[in-house]
Amino acid sequence: MTRALDHVLDALDIETFLVCSSAEEGRRLAEQLMAELNLPKGDIVFLEYASPGVRVRLRAYLHRPGDAYLWLAGDQK
Amino acid sequence: MKKILLAPLDPVHDNAAKLIQRRLSAAGYDAVCMPPGTTPEEVIAQALKIMPDVILISRTLGYQVAEILGHFVDLADAAGLRETTRLGVGGMALTREAGAELGFDAIFIGDLDLDALIAFIEDKPNPDQATSSDTAPQAKPDLTAGYTYQFHNPQIKSLLDGITDQILSWAKDKTSDGIERAIIRAEAIDQGIDLADAASPIAQQLRKRYLEFCDPEIRSSYLDGHLPPGVRRVLPSETERLPKLLTESTEPPHTLRHHGSKPLFFVQYGTGCPVMDVMHIRTSQAWGADGVLHFDPSWGAQREGLLSGLLSHEHDGTILTLENLKFINAYLPTQTLWNIRGHRGLNTPETQVIGAAAGADLFKINIPYGATGGGTDPARLTVDGVYALMLAAKYGIPFDIPGNDELSGVPPHKTFAGILIMMALGLKLGARPIPKPLLCNSPYMQMSGEMDENSIDINAAKLSIWREIVDTPVWPGEPVGFMTHTPERVQSAVSTAAYASLAASLGVDALTMASSDEAYSKGPISAQARVDTLRGVREMVRFVGNAGYAKTSRSQQMQERLLEGIIATLQLVSRRGDFVASIYEGLLGSPEDGLYPGRTGKGTVRERQV
Repeated sequence: MTRALDHVLDALDIETFLVCSSAEEGRRLAEQLMAELNLPKGDIVFLEYASPGVRVRLRAYLHRPGDAYLWLAGDQK
Repeated sequence: MKKILLAPLDPVHDNAAKLIQRRLSAAGYDAVCMPPGTTPEEVIAQALKIMPDVILISRTLGYQVAEILGHFVDLADAAGLRETTRLGVGGMALTREAGAELGFDAIFIGDLDLDALIAFIEDKPNPDQATSSDTAPQAKPDLTAGYTYQFHNPQIKSLLDGITDQILSWAKDKTSDGIERAIIRAEAIDQGIDLADAASPIAQQLRKRYLEFCDPEIRSSYLDGHLPPGVRRVLPSETERLPKLLTESTEPPHTLRHHGSKPLFFVQYGTGCPVMDVMHIRTSQAWGADGVLHFDPSWGAQREGLLSGLLSHEHDGTILTLENLKFINAYLPTQTLWNIRGHRGLNTPETQVIGAAAGADLFKINIPYGATGGGTDPARLTVDGVYALMLAAKYGIPFDIPGNDELSGVPPHKTFAGILIMMALGLKLGARPIPKPLLCNSPYMQMSGEMDENSIDINAAKLSIWREIVDTPVWPGEPVGFMTHTPERVQSAVSTAAYASLAASLGVDALTMASSDEAYSKGPISAQARVDTLRGVREMVRFVGNAGYAKTSRSQQMQERLLEGIIATLQLVSRRGDFVASIYEGLLGSPEDGLYPGRTGKGTVRERQV
C-alpha cells in the first residue's frame, strides 16, 4: 500500500482561513501550521488579512523537478 | 420507441430530470418525468405500470444518499424490474464509485452528456470512451491554414519590403558559430549520427568540427562528460515506469472551447526535468490545452553549443538537447501541438534543426526581441535569425513572433513594427509567420494609463489591428494577462480567463495562457496551478459563449493611434537603412523605453568563406 503523499505530483497546497488579529500573527500561525503538519520547507504562497483573520495558501514541494519521484516508483519502493 | 422514466429522488431538485426529459423527448424517446419529492416506492409503482426500458434517478442533496438510493435498487430487484429495465443515476450527490457500489447500471457525473446518456439507453458503448484503436488519428491543426498573408496596407507593405531587402542583403554573406553548428548538426541528423557517440568514427569527425564552434563548458561535456552545475543525466530507472503510468486514458480530454474550432489554447512548460515535463504536459492536455511550448533555461541561450543526452536541470527551463526533445515528444498526446522556443540566443539556428528532428510543429523566432530583451547581440541574432527563418521555411514549420519586449516598457507600436518586420522577413524566405501580440499590463500601459479605465479597449485594439494590416493568423500571448497576475490563485486564474475570453471572442486563432502560479516566484509551477487556470478559462469561455465584446469608439481610436505609431516606427527604420543599427540605436525600443541592445555574442559575426 503506497502512501497518498507519495502520489503528490509536485506541490502540496493547503488552503484555509486562520482566525487572528493581524497579518503578522496570521503569518506566524501559518508557519506554525506547516510545522504542526510536519511539512518542512513550507512556504506561504498567498496571505491576506482582513478581520477576523487571514486567507492563506501554504505550499510544500514534495517532489521538485529532478527529484526521485515516489509516484514513479510504484510498488518497487 | 424506447420508454424512459425519470425520477428525482430529492425533495426539491428536479431541474436536471426535467432538462433530460426535454432533450430525450426531442430525440424521439417517450420520456416521462415524476415530480420532486417522489419516494422510491412511488417510482417502482410507476415503473411497474409503464414498464420503462430505463429508469434514470437523480439526487442532488447529499444526506442519506446511500440509504435512499440503496433502498430504491433493492425495491427494483425485489419487483423483478431489473430483468427488463436498466437503472441509471446521476446528480451532484453522486460519485461514480458510490453509484456503482449501490448497484446502478450507469452513473452520470458532471455536465449533461446526452450522447453518453443515449448510448446507455440504447445499450451501446459510450462514444466518448472509444479507445484509441477505434479512432483514426487526425491531422494536427494548422494555425496558418486559410490565411493568404496579403497586406491590406500598401504603405506598410512598401516599408517592409525595403527593410527586409536590406536585412537579407546585409546577412547574405555572413555567418556565425551558431550557423556553423546548425549545419553540422543537420548533417549528423541526416546521416542518423549521434554527435556524442564515442564509438563511431564519423561521429568523432563531426563532433570534432562541432566542438570547434562551442564554448569550453559545452566542449567539456562532450569530451570529459562534465556537465554544468545543477545539470545531471536522467537514469534509465527514472524513465522506465513512465509508460505504465501514462497508459492511454479512456476519458476524453476536456475542451476549453464552447463552440467552433478556435482558438487553440497553449501552455508553457519547462520544469527543468523532462520526466516532470511529461507529467505537466499530460495534465494540461487532459484539462484542455491544445498545445504546449518548450521553455529552456536562459543560460542555455548564452552558451555557444548545445549539450547532449537526456538531462535534468535543477532550475526553471528544460535543457534543449535532441534527446530531451525526443523523449518529451514520445509522450505528447497525438493531437497536441508542440512549439520549440529558439528566438533569443546563440543556438537559434541549431534549435530549429533539433526541433524539426524531434517533431516540433511550431517554432518561435523574433530578432528584435531576442536582440534586446532576450540579451543577444543584434548583429549576431540577425544573422542567426535569418538562417533560422530559412530553416523554418525548409522544414515547412510555421514560426510565431512573441511581442514580449513590451514587458520592458516598449510601447506596443514599436513592438508591433518589429513583429511586422519579422513577418515580412519570414514570408520573403518562404516561411509562415504568426504574430503574437502581448496582452499585458506592461510598464508602458501603467505609465500611459491606457488600461486605467478598463482592460478591454487597448487590448481589443492590439488584437484587431493585425487583420487591418495583413491577412494573418493571430496568437496573443505570451501568456495573456502578463503582469496582471498575483500569487492569489483565484485572482490569477480569473485574470487569465478574462483575457482569454476577450481574445477568443475577437476571433484569435490561438492563445498562450499562464498557470495560477504565474506570479509565484519561490518554486516551480505546480500541476494544480495549471488545472486552476485551464478550469477558469473553460468556465469563462463558456460564459461568453458565442457572444462577444463590442468594440468601443475609444478602442477604435486606440487602434488608429497604434497604426500611426507602427507606420512612424517603420519609416524611421526604413530611413535609417540599416536594421541592425536600428536595433542598436533603439528605433524598435530604446533605453528610454526600458530596452537595451543585447550583448551576448557581440563581435561573433563574420563573413562567410566561399
